[in-house]
Amino acid sequence: MSELVSVAGLSFGYRNKPVLRDITFKVERGSLCGLLGPNASGKTTLLKCLNGILTPQEGDVSVAGRMVAGLPRQEIARLMAVVPQQMNLVFSFTALQMVVMGRAARLGTLKLPSGKDREAARDALEDLGVGTLADRPFNELSGGERQLVLLARALFQDTSILLLDEPTSHLDFRNQYRIMDVVSDITEKKGLATIVTLHDPNLAGRYCSHLVMLKDGRLHREGSRQKVFERQTLEEVYGMQVIVERTAHGPAVVMPAPRTVAP
Amino acid sequence: MKNHRITFIVIIILLFASIGVALVLGRFHIGFGAIWDIIVTTCCGNEAEPKLATSSLVLWSVRFPRVLAAIMVGAALSVAGAVFQSLFRNPLVSPAILGVTSGASFGATLAFFFAANSALAVEGSAFLFGLLAVTLAYQIGRRSGNSVTSLVLSGVIVSALFTAGVSFLKYKADPYQQLPAMVFWTMGSFNSVIWVDAVRALLIIVPGLAAIYLFRWWLNPIALGDEDAMTLGIDVPKARIFYILIGTLIVAASVSLCGNIGWVGLVVPHMARIIVGSDHDALIPFTALLGGLFMLVMDTLARTISGGEIPVGILTALLGAPFFAYLLVTQEKRGEWQN
Repeated sequence: MSELVSVAGLSFGYRNKPVLRDITFKVERGSLCGLLGPNASGKTTLLKCLNGILTPQEGDVSVAGRMVAGLPRQEIARLMAVVPQQMNLVFSFTALQMVVMGRAARLGTLKLPSGKDREAARDALEDLGVGTLADRPFNELSGGERQLVLLARALFQDTSILLLDEPTSHLDFRNQYRIMDVVSDITEKKGLATIVTLHDPNLAGRYCSHLVMLKDGRLHREGSRQKVFERQTLEEVYGMQVIVERTAHGPAVVMPAPRTVAP
Repeated sequence: MKNHRITFIVIIILLFASIGVALVLGRFHIGFGAIWDIIVTTCCGNEAEPKLATSSLVLWSVRFPRVLAAIMVGAALSVAGAVFQSLFRNPLVSPAILGVTSGASFGATLAFFFAANSALAVEGSAFLFGLLAVTLAYQIGRRSGNSVTSLVLSGVIVSALFTAGVSFLKYKADPYQQLPAMVFWTMGSFNSVIWVDAVRALLIIVPGLAAIYLFRWWLNPIALGDEDAMTLGIDVPKARIFYILIGTLIVAASVSLCGNIGWVGLVVPHMARIIVGSDHDALIPFTALLGGLFMLVMDTLARTISGGEIPVGILTALLGAPFFAYLLVTQEKRGEWQN
């Protein structure tokens, strides 16, 4: 059984407002899965259901063969790590202190992180090429640097599943690709199951092996990138006319259909 | 904590120096030499020499318990402030602003009103009403948007409610039998601290501080936000109850001992953050030491700078308010507090 994450018939709603309905998909080890969909399609909510922050009213999420519902937070944190959306701290921690917190789920209740943990956290930053940021206050870092620090923290959590909530949303052009390069490499190298929500379908088209497309809280289509990254599906999901073109240098790209200019 | 070894050594030396000065100063002057003699002879189980008898009495039954009380209460209020600030991710929060202090004052006053003068009744009532106040403030804040501002505003509302309660009880109280004790709670002073009271507070405050000290590192992930802490593996609701209970307990014990002393729980944690940073590993012990030092210095000033005795709460406010104003003005430059 190579799937690490399996979602079956998941439905979730706030009070009387349904957000997600009957979602089913699987993510395999070593695969980078992109969650796509327009605003308010339920991407972030789905991610929270996967992590057990929200409890679905129907259906199950299981990771590494265990049901997420009812697992203690510490157990969940040993199975999956989350890279949150852009965050700003009220009280200033250094980048290193942030990464060390990735160890929380592995510490005994009365234990503090040891010098060894701190060294390991420094290595985690080093691995992503941002070792020099270790002693800088997190709030003084740029958006791209923060995202790399949070990614280092998630990797330091040492889980087999990685969830990223719009990791590129506040980043400039170059940094979007920098982050996704790192995520993609690590997923492959460590054999993780990585799930990432993305706004830009071209980022998904470039990096993700598997795509899950949401629309109005329902699973519109899912499957390998080759199968589902095509004009009709993308038009239906985003509700707009698009062109998908194969480029000479890599995967297909999607762009809006040309604007019809009045004569 | 390792990086701050020298800082810790300095603050401990300062604390001991202040204890020495606090024992010497006062309307009744006792020299360092005399203090040493008295301590040594008493500890050897002997009576002090006749010429030092008065000094011995002043030292043992007035100054020692008072110094102990000031350090303890300063540490308790400051640590509770630091814990509440991190717990609610809000730099404006303190035991006073969340309503704990006014709730506890109301509880203590209520116990006095019903002539329940037993220490247990006063402390228990202070604890229960302190807990009620912080729960109310938190719930109102959560229902009105759960933002920094709404939490502070709901704390102001709850404080106002309990302060009104205290005023009502004062109005209704017997002006000769009950009122003086009640006024004492609202002013805040270490003036009448005796051994029995100090030790009883110590039995609550020291274990409370120790519990927070043992679990201090978990405040780091909690200070990042509930959801983030949960993804890192923390059972946030359970942890929050633990810290609120202990924080309220030590504040209630402080209020029962010396009444309502403001500003300490708000500004000392911020001073500590500036000196040792936000990592609770160092922040919690340093806040305790700095809070103890701060309160001891304030109390010593309160009883020595004028002929009479100034309520110490006036001094803490005189120093605390401008310092907090400075923090507010420089928040952007320090890269903190924005949310």
